[in-house]
Amino acid sequence: MRFFALRFVLFLRHPRFIFPVDYRRSPRASRKRPVQIPSDSALDTNRANRLSNPMLRLNRNFAASLGLLCFAGLGLAETAPLSPEQVKAAVRTDDFTIPTPGEFMAALNKTGKPDWASKARPPIPTNFSSRAQQAMNLGTLIADGYIAVEAEDKQSVKNIGKDIIDLAKPLGVKEEIVNRGKSLTEFADDGQWDVLREELEATQNEVKGKFAETADTDLITLVTVGAWARATEVVAGLIAAKFSPESAKLVRQPGIVEFLSTKLDALPDKLRDDPAVKRARVKLMELKSAVTFPRETTPDQAQIKKIASLAGELVKEIAKKDLK
Amino acid sequence: MNRRFTALIPLLTAAAALAVAPTVSDDEVSARKNALELAGAYSNDGFKLRDGHWSGPIKPGEGKVVQVNLYAGNEYFFAVASTEKAKKMAITAYDETGTQLEITDPYQDGAKAAIGFSPLASGPYYVKVEEVEGEPTAYCLVCSYK
Repeated sequence: MRFFALRFVLFLRHPRFIFPVDYRRSPRASRKRPVQIPSDSALDTNRANRLSNPMLRLNRNFAASLGLLCFAGLGLAETAPLSPEQVKAAVRTDDFTIPTPGEFMAALNKTGKPDWASKARPPIPTNFSSRAQQAMNLGTLIADGYIAVEAEDKQSVKNIGKDIIDLAKPLGVKEEIVNRGKSLTEFADDGQWDVLREELEATQNEVKGKFAETADTDLITLVTVGAWARATEVVAGLIAAKFSPESAKLVRQPGIVEFLSTKLDALPDKLRDDPAVKRARVKLMELKSAVTFPRETTPDQAQIKKIASLAGELVKEIAKKDLK
Repeated sequence: MNRRFTALIPLLTAAAALAVAPTVSDDEVSARKNALELAGAYSNDGFKLRDGHWSGPIKPGEGKVVQVNLYAGNEYFFAVASTEKAKKMAITAYDETGTQLEITDPYQDGAKAAIGFSPLASGPYYVKVEEVEGEPTAYCLVCSYK
């Protein structure tokens, strides 16, 4: 033990003690690389820093290993996880972070053949006095459009297109919507369902784009809230009616409700105090806990029914006239 | 004086509107065109392009992260593109815990990059775009699904 301790101390102070054999003179080394020993070696005061110095060779090996580790580290950096700060600071936008109702419905279509026609609802009023309520109901109508397309119901698509125009009129986006409404009718007549899905998405984005150009940017979120609530009501309702664990997992949407709740909380006081917005905020809070569960968890049928019921209540509430 | 001020009102209003209106640079327009071209190549496979996009300025070595909410069962394809000023763009995806997803066959060609995957669970995911080499320019990210 003392022997090793002594060697270690000697190694630290005089590394050459640990190498009793001069590598430069070993037969193997000479075979590989004949080394010219300088004649003035006695005068050389910088031997330790020579490349041929065994200690330096050790250091080179160490440096090479370190380099390899660094490269490995760089490789890992490419697959490095996002830090909690990066996740928190990630950008969230209405048109990129939030999926369209069509996307939600496309996912459900993969689990079976949902009875979309059973989820059509009676026409809603289109003459609300509150702009916030108009915007939210415009969103629900756009979701209705997707449902009618999934059900391949031409007449419903046309009726909903007309209601969308009527509701968009007081919001100042009639000009943009009228042409879209005409397209919806034409594509419905031709049974071009895929094109209709794109047209509905474009309609929603055109309305939002118009709001963004004017001072109505706050209404964008309200359209999204309406569309998401109606889509959730219908999709959750269909899952509950024909329950399967695979489809039940679709209702997990914590990011969406979080985004929408945050946006509603940040609305100006006047808009936040609107009766329809107040009700939407309360229901969103309830929905938030219902659609937020661990990734590995599969909600049961009762939970799905509850989500459908909460979203349905929200949709009904905001469609009531003269809310107070 | 009042008349002069009244005459200035439309001018001031127009100036204010211009100041408020979001400006889109030529680089951004070009980046969007490139991203749509890349995503369009996959539309034959049945992918539907989302109408929305995410764009903005980007510098070399800079990574930008956006949250996307995806549904299990759907297939997603994210395409990012920049202008010729960017020599290399990169794109990666992460789950809600920040863990990077393994992408089987990513696409990378200079200023364009794309990934496709099917999320196992519905919920929030994160997409990071990065300019690996090049000059400051703009990027555009688009998403398709089927």
